[in-house]
Amino acid sequence: MQRTTLAILSVVCLMVLGVVMTTKGQEPEDDQAPKIYNPYPPGILPPDINSELQRVLREVDFIEAKTIAQWKASKPPTLTGQPPTLQGTGYQAVETLGKLMNYDKNMSPERNSACASCHMPYAGFSGPIPSVNLTMIAYPGTLRFRAGKRTAQRYTYSPRYPVLQLYPDQGLLFGGNFWDGRSTGYLLQSADAEQAQHPPVDTQEMGFPDTACIAFRLSQAVYRPLFEEVWGKGSFDIKFPPNTAEICATPGGAAVFGTSATPVKLSPVDRTRANSIYNHWAQSVSFFEDGPQVSPFTSKVDANIQGLPGSAYSPNELAGAILFAGKANCNSCHLDGQRTTLTPGQTQTGTFATNARPLFTCFGFSNLGLPLNPRDAFFYQTKPDPFGFTPNPLGFSYRDLGLGTFLRSGFGSAPNPNDTWKQLAPRMDGRQQVSTVRNVAMAPPQCPTTEAPGAVVNGTNVGYFQKEFFHNGYIKSLKQLVHFYNTRDVKKFAFPVTSGHCPKGTTEKVDCWPMPEVKNNIDMTIGNLGLTDQEEDQIVIIMQDLTDGFDPAHPGVSTYPDIGTFTGKCMQGGSAKTQGNDFLIMTPPLPPCASAVCGVSPFPTMPIP
Amino acid sequence: MNRTFVKLAITVMAGGLLYSIPAATQVSPTTKRAAHVRITKGPEMERIDPDFAIIRWTSNNPGGSPEHYGVVHYGTNPKDLSQTAKSPIRLNPGHPDTVFRVRMEDLKPGTTYYYKVNSMEANGKDDGVKSMVKRFTTEPSGKDDVANSTAKPVTNR
Ligand code: HEC
Ligand code: HEC
Repeated sequence: MQRTTLAILSVVCLMVLGVVMTTKGQEPEDDQAPKIYNPYPPGILPPDINSELQRVLREVDFIEAKTIAQWKASKPPTLTGQPPTLQGTGYQAVETLGKLMNYDKNMSPERNSACASCHMPYAGFSGPIPSVNLTMIAYPGTLRFRAGKRTAQRYTYSPRYPVLQLYPDQGLLFGGNFWDGRSTGYLLQSADAEQAQHPPVDTQEMGFPDTACIAFRLSQAVYRPLFEEVWGKGSFDIKFPPNTAEICATPGGAAVFGTSATPVKLSPVDRTRANSIYNHWAQSVSFFEDGPQVSPFTSKVDANIQGLPGSAYSPNELAGAILFAGKANCNSCHLDGQRTTLTPGQTQTGTFATNARPLFTCFGFSNLGLPLNPRDAFFYQTKPDPFGFTPNPLGFSYRDLGLGTFLRSGFGSAPNPNDTWKQLAPRMDGRQQVSTVRNVAMAPPQCPTTEAPGAVVNGTNVGYFQKEFFHNGYIKSLKQLVHFYNTRDVKKFAFPVTSGHCPKGTTEKVDCWPMPEVKNNIDMTIGNLGLTDQEEDQIVIIMQDLTDGFDPAHPGVSTYPDIGTFTGKCMQGGSAKTQGNDFLIMTPPLPPCASAVCGVSPFPTMPIP
Repeated sequence: MNRTFVKLAITVMAGGLLYSIPAATQVSPTTKRAAHVRITKGPEMERIDPDFAIIRWTSNNPGGSPEHYGVVHYGTNPKDLSQTAKSPIRLNPGHPDTVFRVRMEDLKPGTTYYYKVNSMEANGKDDGVKSMVKRFTTEPSGKDDVANSTAKPVTNR
């Protein structure tokens, strides 16, 4: 598509959005006309951004309505015993509550952004908008179009990550949630529960100015009785000041709030009550994420480990599993729970499982040396929005040091609650969470693959669902992901350029890898694996077998809950090797790393350009 | 006590050990340390650029902390290897051998460097690897500037 067309389309979309939003019936507290923030040069926002955000919101509402009906039809548990326990259907009650919260768009100032807006089931609970995955990589939050800086992580199995801890034997930190581990779990003793306390008050996500807004909006929710049933009748016994509705309808970061994190003025007792609601919000959401609707251990690999009929590996799958644990060494970080003393030619049958439910992560952190992705929406948010908030004053001098920046309580991360770990920062710069490989390949049933040119179902190519991979979404297909691990360091592929500047005659991501964004602590387990093209494909195949919802009796039909909710379009054509390359843009000349990032002690081991 | 019972008890205990780590703490394990860590292949140059190089070698799996560092001591004088480069790698408990690869940044073009290698655990404990001093010469500088290929420019306002 021509750039001018793109630009015109964006303008038209903005106008349409304006009309839609001003004519839609709003509740009194939201009567202020919605404000738009668009600091982006043409071509950064995808042209279909507004219709796609609305599409996802419809899907979110659909699941919410369905869940409300299920809750109303369910049998309430009985509170009994000492300590009192919700006997019978207590599990279902907490899980349903968490699900209702997760799909509730009212949990944002403009009532337009739920957790699920960025995490939908058909994408393995990662980003649901193909065009966003292809372009700006970060998802817009409540105030359009403020956006974060990283890809919306899959959260299947994330409640299994332990509280972030230093393991002295290992000399490493393991655990936590988020790419940079900043949700430690130190208070709630669950990294994942604590994670659910970040997005509601993240200025670029759901964007409330005060955590008490969650208590306030929950007090108005249709499912308030369920909350009270689970967490206590007096939960909402809080005297909210009259201006609470107005405050909670204003996005965080707005200049009117100054530096206050608690603009809703509550008495100390009421503040404590609101905090306790916020903890219960987090725990309920986390219980849903840990449950069988999100993290069910029903992939083909699970079936194979259990030796279920119909789950035997094909020769390519078996080859992939052996490569994963052998030549490609993936399981040194993505632990597969298998006994892997493999020699060439040896087969792994799956009956040697040492951990029947391997999570395909070690909960650790590594720097894979990814190039800076100039499409990342974060880089462009350098001007104040209508509320006087500037998401990224550093522009292109921001660098993502991941865990290193978190340990320093640095820019764009969160305060580190353990000072004694700060000294480790130089060894942790550039490291991001070792994600689980589970469900990385999950895609909607209409186009059940992430790989171009698409899946062939009954002889027809039904297309593919565009995802984005790694913390900055630089990689657009699993084929590219494996090719990166395989060839990052190969001399003839590695060029001292930034993305978009690969030499003539080379193709970025095929035979040209731009230089890493952060060269400190680059992990060298991978980077030159010597895999053939076919071996790369076999690893992709075994990763696809880690998709939940496999039914040995009907291998083509997913049993994964809510997977059928995608109402968008599949993509067609092209090749997995160059998928997304039409959308590469030239990285501008990069200013040096800002001192707010690289100049915070303890300093990085070597200067970051 | 009869022998099958003893066997059973041992099996159960071994199982207990394996499963004593709950699934929720499935972190990379610290493994039994090898008595000696010996280089079985290399060290050799995997890649030489004008200002960058990768040195690679294989040893038996050293065990210990799951993350290890390959360490290169180097300099332009064989008697003064006072510069250090190190890179992290992950041990694979299932592999008998471990490949170490170390990135060397900011080298001078067309220059001969001498080096020897070692490895250590993530917490700094030395693996005690013996290596001889070897050398390599970086490529001369002056490669053609790389021109833009396919990507479209975006103007940053
Ligand atoms: C605007 C988009 C957006 C919204 C809304 C959002 N998330 Fe996320 N989510 C992200 C992004 C981006 C990340 C990665 C952020 C990072 O690491 O810096 C993430 C990470 C996570 C993770 C971490 C997974 C892991 O393995 O560490 C979990 C869990 C999660 N989100 C759950 C939620 C929940 C629960 C909500 C609602 C309370 C929510 N998200 C709302 C975008 C979003
Ligand atoms: C040294 C540890 C390490 C090894 C070895 C490793 N990975 Fe990873 N993996 C990571 C880290 C760290 C991330 C997240 C990195 C990031 O986003 O910057 C990751 C992410 C992933 C993801 C998820 C990407 C996403 O966006 O959700 C997949 C899939 C994956 N790796 C597959 C593999 C495969 C296949 C191999 C073997 C060829 C492999 N990994 C080897 C550390 C490792």
